[in-house]
Amino acid sequence: MAMTNQKSKIFNLKSLVPDRQTFTRSFRMAAWLGWQIESNWTDPFLFAIYSIIKPLSGAAILVVMYSIVSGGNFESPIFPYIYLGNAFYMYVGQVMTGISWAIIDDREHYKTLKYMYMAPIHMPTYLMGRGVARFIVASISVLITILFGVAFLHIQIDLAAVNWGLFFLSLFIGVIMLAMMGLILAGITLMLANHVWFIGDATAGALYLFSGAIFPLDVLPAFLRPIGFIMPITYWLELLRRSLVGSVAQAFPTLAGFSNAQLLYILIGLTIVFGVLSAVVFHWCEFRARERGMLDMVTNY
Amino acid sequence: MEYAIHTEKLGRVYKLRHAKKEDPQELTALQDVNLQVKPGELFGLLGPNGAGKTTLIKILTTLLGPTSGIARVTGLDVTQEAQNVRARINMVSGGESSGYGLLTVRENLWMFSQFYGLPSKAANQRIDELLKIVGLEDRKNTKSSDLSTGLRQKMNIVRGFMTDPDVLFLDEPTLGLDVGASRDVRRFIRQWVDENRPLPQGEGRGEGRTLLLTTHYMVEADELCDRVAIINKGRVLACDTPANLKHGLQQDAIFKMTLSPLNGLNVTQLEALAGVKKVTHTPQDGAAELDLILESDDALGGLVTLLTSNDIHIRNLQKREPTLEDVFVDLVGHSMQEIEVRE
Amino acid sequence: MSSQSLTVHKTIPKNSGARLFIQTVLARAYPRIIGQQREKSWMFFDIVMPLLAVSAYVFVYQAIGAPEEYVGFVVMGGAMTAFWMNVLWSMSSQLYWEKEMGNLALYVMAPNSMMAILLGMALGGLVATTLRALAITILGSWLFQIPYQVTSFWQLFLVFTLAMIALYGMGMLFASLFLLLSREAWHLSNLAQEPVYLFSGFYFPIKSLNFWVAASASIIPLTLGLDAMRQLVFESGAALGFLSVPLEIGILAILSVVFVTAAKYLLAYMERLSIREGRITESRR
Repeated sequence: MAMTNQKSKIFNLKSLVPDRQTFTRSFRMAAWLGWQIESNWTDPFLFAIYSIIKPLSGAAILVVMYSIVSGGNFESPIFPYIYLGNAFYMYVGQVMTGISWAIIDDREHYKTLKYMYMAPIHMPTYLMGRGVARFIVASISVLITILFGVAFLHIQIDLAAVNWGLFFLSLFIGVIMLAMMGLILAGITLMLANHVWFIGDATAGALYLFSGAIFPLDVLPAFLRPIGFIMPITYWLELLRRSLVGSVAQAFPTLAGFSNAQLLYILIGLTIVFGVLSAVVFHWCEFRARERGMLDMVTNY
Repeated sequence: MEYAIHTEKLGRVYKLRHAKKEDPQELTALQDVNLQVKPGELFGLLGPNGAGKTTLIKILTTLLGPTSGIARVTGLDVTQEAQNVRARINMVSGGESSGYGLLTVRENLWMFSQFYGLPSKAANQRIDELLKIVGLEDRKNTKSSDLSTGLRQKMNIVRGFMTDPDVLFLDEPTLGLDVGASRDVRRFIRQWVDENRPLPQGEGRGEGRTLLLTTHYMVEADELCDRVAIINKGRVLACDTPANLKHGLQQDAIFKMTLSPLNGLNVTQLEALAGVKKVTHTPQDGAAELDLILESDDALGGLVTLLTSNDIHIRNLQKREPTLEDVFVDLVGHSMQEIEVRE
Repeated sequence: MSSQSLTVHKTIPKNSGARLFIQTVLARAYPRIIGQQREKSWMFFDIVMPLLAVSAYVFVYQAIGAPEEYVGFVVMGGAMTAFWMNVLWSMSSQLYWEKEMGNLALYVMAPNSMMAILLGMALGGLVATTLRALAITILGSWLFQIPYQVTSFWQLFLVFTLAMIALYGMGMLFASLFLLLSREAWHLSNLAQEPVYLFSGFYFPIKSLNFWVAASASIIPLTLGLDAMRQLVFESGAALGFLSVPLEIGILAILSVVFVTAAKYLLAYMERLSIREGRITESRR
């Protein structure tokens, strides 16, 4: 009876949604803390170098791969498709890692997770707040990558032709969607040892295959394509491409049958689905971790 | 005689990185520390937090370099012959979280034994013996992440003793332990040193086993140590047996007085009285406690007159023997608690 | 607590020299091997996920119409990333976590060698690393029907062995930095990932880069290691090779000696420097 009562609390909707004060307190302090941790390891100059070299190196791998095969033909629409997809995909790794990594960091390194759980905060909100710093760093990386592409690699972005409304709306919904996915990973991390600290990066790396980030989904074998179609990241990247360089998106027929509005509705719908999924998964994992006394375990080796 | 531990004008200054220009750029953790610890001695280092105890231990265990002076352990220089020193020492710190959570107690201890070159079979035997002695035998297959603080500290203590070091450093080993566990650890420490006393040549261990213990618990130092050095702000203020240190204060009269609150009267006014050397005031709930060091019993009269004329009622008066705490107060001018509260 | 006598009636003789070195390596590898046995979640995230990530690069090449052999290059490069990650995260920057946990002080204080500790860490991680590399190679080759044509097995073995020795020597060299630095070192490791993938030609033949860029990148053992292995296992590998295989073997041999020797001296120097500066026991998260 007691266990049933405990389990039923997981699905108590009231406990899933915090009140406004708790939300603000949890999010604000977590965002501040996350920034303190991410930004204080070096001086601003080195931080800037780090923020430039890392994303550009990642982009350069694809640029070189493309350049070798195409003989340097950057005019073909496939190049901006790859380049922009890869640039925005940086958000995926950073946001998902930022949220799931906070569990490992707080539990194993700072040993403060137990204190966070004892405090009157809303844990999922706290974790999403911890991801804000990574989002900011990712934004800098994305901007630098795109600017480099425009300046040196013939990526044609006509600022006057950009659909800014669609761009910012898609970006906003996409980041929330990524945060939900990060929360799922955070829940899983609660149940695992320290050796899966790379779960965010690993998952982002795997989803690279199914999200149409660097190649159209049509390239995938037919039996794998449905995975891409249920991934919200696919629609998110497509919307971003359409808003920035409409002609590039049009060159690839994978999602050509959907209008912008339809893509937006699909993205919102999938974001809600993942939101519900993340709430259920996270709370279940949290319940199990609490039951097993794993909230303050230290497993580093 | 070759000392187990020998330091001469030992000093350590830390440069403070990222200090603002108007703030101090350096921190002196140790200065002019001269210590000689004989083989087989249980030597205590007593001082408040931040006194320099851990810094001294880090230098002696080759983890930190001195900025001046020399330090030798078993006759070997800690900077020039560090590797040789390491073969003969071990250290246990209070509140330590060493080892790996996913390994059991026995596995963690076995792993550390290998770093000292102990053959596996002999190491496991030794570990089993020590686990039995400290009362952890039934938890030897428990993952260390599942242990309580006290049990983890017992595991750490076994880690320190199992390599059979010539010199063992214990840095606040009872920190965070409950009363029972602390008592067990102290008894264990005392027994280890006593059983390994230097013997005449040809009989068992000639050299004995030396133990340097740092603590800020006066009682612990008093109870355990053959000799104690009192350290504060990086300097050794006194070094002798606890009995001799206390004897130095014997000529003074030490009283403990419980009274009603001081009603605006302060410690300075009390210390200004003739014959009053030191007054330590501890406010209580609805009362006050004074620890008094007087030149003689005669000074008590003036003190009582001042108190009663300020409508302060004396509820209890006790004369007591000097403790190490009194020695500390006499040397430093404040009690350890007062120093820590200020900091 | 029992009141049993604590006196050790017989002093236990302790090993030193090479025996102590081997004992230390095995002892430090133990927690990693056992930890991975006790919590097997890493298998999914460390094997399946990277295979999917490597597959993404394969499909990029297919999308842009690359020749078939490039798919084989990607799979091989993807497999070798496992070793690079092992060196970077399971060895070099692991010292940072050890410092934070307080184990580093205990390692330094023991009469063993820091090289042995690092080698133990790497050895312990090698189980997972090898599984990852094998999974990517075998499954990737099967999924994408990669044709192999090995021209010389002994040269292949020699290249791989020398590349690994040089790589782990280089890893120990980096690890010495971590004795001195704290979180900066962790971020430096993070920074070292993508540039090394790029300049070492993990996903494309290094010959495609400018000669001097490729030559400079050759200081990273995996650059020439990968290049030589591709020349030895793919039919068109020789045509896309940077230098000849015997020359690359020679350079790898030199790098092995240089890195391992330099690591020995730099580790000792950095340890002394860290002790002087008081960095061994500092905790700057």
